[in-house]
Amino acid sequence: MPASASTDPGEVSDLDLVKRSQTGDTRAFDVLVTRYRGRIYAMTYHLIQNETEAWDLAQEAFIKAWRALPTFKHDAGFYTWLYRIAHNVSYDWLRKKKIQGDGEFDDERTEHRIAAGAEAAPRGDLAPDTALRNAELGQRIQEAIAKLSPEHRQVIVLREVEGLAYEEIAALIPCSLGTVMSRLFYARKKLQEQLHDVYETSL
Amino acid sequence: MKHPSEEHDLVRWIDGEMNEAERATFEERFKHEPALATEARTMRAMSASLRAHLPAEMRVPHADYFNTQIEVRITQIALDEARAKQGGTGWSAALQWLRQPWFALAGTAALAVVGFVLLYPDTNGASESVILSSFAPNTHVQARTYHDSGAEATVLMLDGLDAVPAERKVSGINIQRSEVEPELASTTMFNGQGTAVLMISRDALGNHLISPH
Repeated sequence: MPASASTDPGEVSDLDLVKRSQTGDTRAFDVLVTRYRGRIYAMTYHLIQNETEAWDLAQEAFIKAWRALPTFKHDAGFYTWLYRIAHNVSYDWLRKKKIQGDGEFDDERTEHRIAAGAEAAPRGDLAPDTALRNAELGQRIQEAIAKLSPEHRQVIVLREVEGLAYEEIAALIPCSLGTVMSRLFYARKKLQEQLHDVYETSL
Repeated sequence: MKHPSEEHDLVRWIDGEMNEAERATFEERFKHEPALATEARTMRAMSASLRAHLPAEMRVPHADYFNTQIEVRITQIALDEARAKQGGTGWSAALQWLRQPWFALAGTAALAVVGFVLLYPDTNGASESVILSSFAPNTHVQARTYHDSGAEATVLMLDGLDAVPAERKVSGINIQRSEVEPELASTTMFNGQGTAVLMISRDALGNHLISPH
C-alpha cells in the first residue's frame, strides 16, 4: 500500500498526531491534513479529472477520516488508511456519475485540468523545447486518461501513480487478481490507441 | 483478442513482474511475433511515460482554505455530537424549550411589545394600546394588545402561539444585533428584578450558545 510521506527527523510522527486527533485535538489533525493533502488531492484529481470536484472529494476524505478516527486501530499506517478512504470516496463519486448518465469521460469534463506534472516537484532546468514537449505529452496523457472508464482509470492510477502491487489493487477495489490484470491490460490498450502517434514513432 | 493468460503475461512483462526465466521465454516470442513485440514495447514506453507525467503529489489549490474548511466542518461535527450527547439531560435539556419555534416567535413578538412599551409608556393609564409593528415567521400567529385597567398593564395576546411554560419567569428580553453581521444576535432574558437569567447567542458557526449567566 502507499507508504507514508517521508518525515523530517524532528517532525511529529503520524502515530502521535493520530493519537492526539483521537482525543479531539483538531490542531493535530490539521497537521495530518497539511502533511497528506497533496497526495490525497493528486489521487482524487487523477481519478476525477476535475480540479473543483477533486478538491471537494479530497476534503470529504479528510472529514470522513476524522469521523472514523475512533475506529482507527494503528495496525495499518495512517496514510494507507486515509488513502483507502479517499479512494472509496472518489470511486463512489465516479460510479454515481456513471449511473446518472453523465459519466462519459470526454474533453469537456477536463476543461479545468492542469498539465500533468505541472504541479509536481521541480524537475530542474529543461531546455524550452524539451519542456514544451513534456508539457504537451503530459496534456495528451491527461486527455487520454480522462477518456477511460472509471474502472480502467482506477487501475491505471493505482498502478502507475501509486505503484500498488496487483494484490493491493485487488484488495482495495475489491476484485480478483485476474480482473485487476485484465483491466490493466485493456486500460493500457485504450491508452495506447489514443497515444499511438507518440510512442510508435519513438520506438 | 488475446487469451487472458497472454494479457496477463504482457501486463507482468510491462511491469517487470516476471522472473528471469519467464521474461526470457516471453521475449523469445518477440522474434517470431513482431506485432507482439511492438505492442509490448509500446505499452512499456507508455507506462514509463505515465509514471513520469502523473505526479503522486500535487499542490492543492487554496491550500489554507482547504484546511480551514475542514476545521470548520469537524468543529461543526463536534458541536453536533456534543449536543446529541447532552440532549435530554441537565441544564441543556431544561432549556430545550428555548429552541422551539414558538420561542422565536415569542421573542419576536416580545420585541415588538418592548419597543411599544418603551416608546409609548402608559403613564396616563390610557385605555388605548396599539401594536406599532410586529413580525412572526409563522403567519398563523396574530399579535394584539389592549390595556387592562385593573392590572394597570398593557396586555399582549399572541393568538396561535404555543403556551410559554408557566414556570419560566421571564419578564424582559433584550436582543443585541452584531454591527457587522446583522444575522448574529445575542438575546438576554431578565427576571422581574432585572437580573439576567438567560443569554442566547451564536458562535462563529451560527450555532446557539446558551449561558445561564
